[in-house]
Amino acid sequence: MYTYKTGISLIDEVKGGIPPGSNILILAPSMSSGEQLGYALTRPLPGEYALILSTVMRSVDLMDYFSSEQFNRDLIGVIDSVTKLSTPDVNDNTQIKFVSSPSDLTGIGIKFSALIESMFNGEFPSADQALFPPPIRFYIDSLTTLLMYRKLEVLYQFLHVLTSKLKKMEAIGIYILNNESFDERTLSLMKQLMNVVIEVKTEQHGDFLRIRGVTGVSQEWVPFRIHQGTLELTA
Amino acid sequence: MIRTGITGIDEMLGSGIPKGTRVIFSLEPGVEGRLFMYRTIVSVLQEKKNILIVAPHSTKRAFLSEYAEFLNIDISKIGGEVVILDSVVRETLNTREKKVNSRKKAWKDLIQDELGKHSIDVLFVYFDLLYEDLGLERALDLLPPAEGQHNITTVVEHLNLEGDSLIARFASEKTFDLILSVHSAFTLAPFFNFFTLEYVSWARMPRRSIPYTIAGQSIRLYIPKIIVTGPASSGKSTFVSNASDSGISVDRGDLDGYRTTVAMDLGWLHFRGFDITIFGTPGQPRFDPILPQLVKNAMGIILMIDATSPDTLLRARELLALAYAAKLPLVIAVNKSDLPHQMDEVMIRETLKLRDEVPLFFISSLKRSDVHYVIESMVDRITRHPY
Repeated sequence: MYTYKTGISLIDEVKGGIPPGSNILILAPSMSSGEQLGYALTRPLPGEYALILSTVMRSVDLMDYFSSEQFNRDLIGVIDSVTKLSTPDVNDNTQIKFVSSPSDLTGIGIKFSALIESMFNGEFPSADQALFPPPIRFYIDSLTTLLMYRKLEVLYQFLHVLTSKLKKMEAIGIYILNNESFDERTLSLMKQLMNVVIEVKTEQHGDFLRIRGVTGVSQEWVPFRIHQGTLELTA
Repeated sequence: MIRTGITGIDEMLGSGIPKGTRVIFSLEPGVEGRLFMYRTIVSVLQEKKNILIVAPHSTKRAFLSEYAEFLNIDISKIGGEVVILDSVVRETLNTREKKVNSRKKAWKDLIQDELGKHSIDVLFVYFDLLYEDLGLERALDLLPPAEGQHNITTVVEHLNLEGDSLIARFASEKTFDLILSVHSAFTLAPFFNFFTLEYVSWARMPRRSIPYTIAGQSIRLYIPKIIVTGPASSGKSTFVSNASDSGISVDRGDLDGYRTTVAMDLGWLHFRGFDITIFGTPGQPRFDPILPQLVKNAMGIILMIDATSPDTLLRARELLALAYAAKLPLVIAVNKSDLPHQMDEVMIRETLKLRDEVPLFFISSLKRSDVHYVIESMVDRITRHPY
């Protein structure tokens, strides 16, 4: 069975990584590096692909970010729900698919399937260490935005379908949610779909993370930083 | 009558959708099913009818741009008038009307106004956000009633997050006159898409599921694999050859000087709106180990029997076990029935222990019409099979 390395030594050294079908929720306040942590977890390792649903950044900016952080951007597919709000005439390509807005769950689902199918069919550049099924890291940046456009119950049902598909594909899901913006019921419902929760907090001396849901891994706060798109525990 | 513009579906519906009815395309998340609505809109506009589109998920410009990208058509220039109530309208109403009932009334008044003002023939509704904003009953109340005494046909697209229970409810309460649900058979990877005709109010029609593929800008009904199997020399290669528009066969001469299939026969045909691929298996027992692989992912099996060789029935029974193991739709073709023979239907059914509902045809695979009769029956069985 393929295991996904997280880049978080606490998890990788104890458990060897995260098993396929896992869903990781990052709970992070605004102005923290939670979003970058999500991208670090999504960074495709050799033989892997990444798929990102962006509700925050335009795909063009996202691709620039990947270049600057030295990601292999050829292995990354993007569902962009931002650009069409300002540039309606933009067209899809193999790697980047657009939906009209973050409220368009029909479009998001369709573009998700289309990109996954492209990865399975070899329409993305084949990795040096091609594996089958291709390991895929799927990142939603962010649930916070989706919850502003759709009701909690509707989004929960949608994510429920999506996570079961990820499980069948032996992929993993990574999600970020601003825990300061929502009530306990929302957080509790979202956690129901997850296997691992990574909490992030920002203090005067930097950012800290705490891991919940991985047996044998410490649940203490650990300082971290993101450097060139990868995670470094600084303790 | 309006048409969906999708070959095969309009024929099944009895040449289209009657005027004044309510139709729903219910989409499973992730399945590319927007083309059902897209195609119907284009088809209606090509008949110079006026349409109102309620698209609260998108701005008008983004909506038109999606059509242009997907179908390479500017729908505002096809023929009839196109009126769109878009996400800007939704935002305005949601901001202005804080209470759900007044919001619903505002939507209803607006839709009624537009229907009258533009002499609208067909109302197209993207339902999800109306359902979310107003609740199911109120959102349904925005639509002209099903089977009503009016001239407006309503076509709804809905992302179904509630699964079969919602479909069953719509069908039992006759909320819509036509319910067409769209699914994907999602295993490790997306394997194929299919739609199910769940309910049709104007025709007696069994609930049937049909795979489809998207070729360019259209929906092609699709059967990726039909297996033709049977004992050696029962006429499988001739059957596949006569059934197909094109194909190949991998044959070799055997020690007796006859040709025998050593790998498979492969044929492609376009039939009754379906793209079909047919695989003919070798009949010699020495090739049996490859049969399970050939049958994998098949959607139906045609078992060929030689009417002039009763002694091959036991071999046919072995091959039948293969078909039943895969729990696939089955049709029996008794070939060479134009030659003198003693086998009759009762004898074959008893020897093969066939269930009554399995169709059995006496044919000559040399006759294309006989072969197509069998294919037609196979397609019918496949479309009734619950995948």
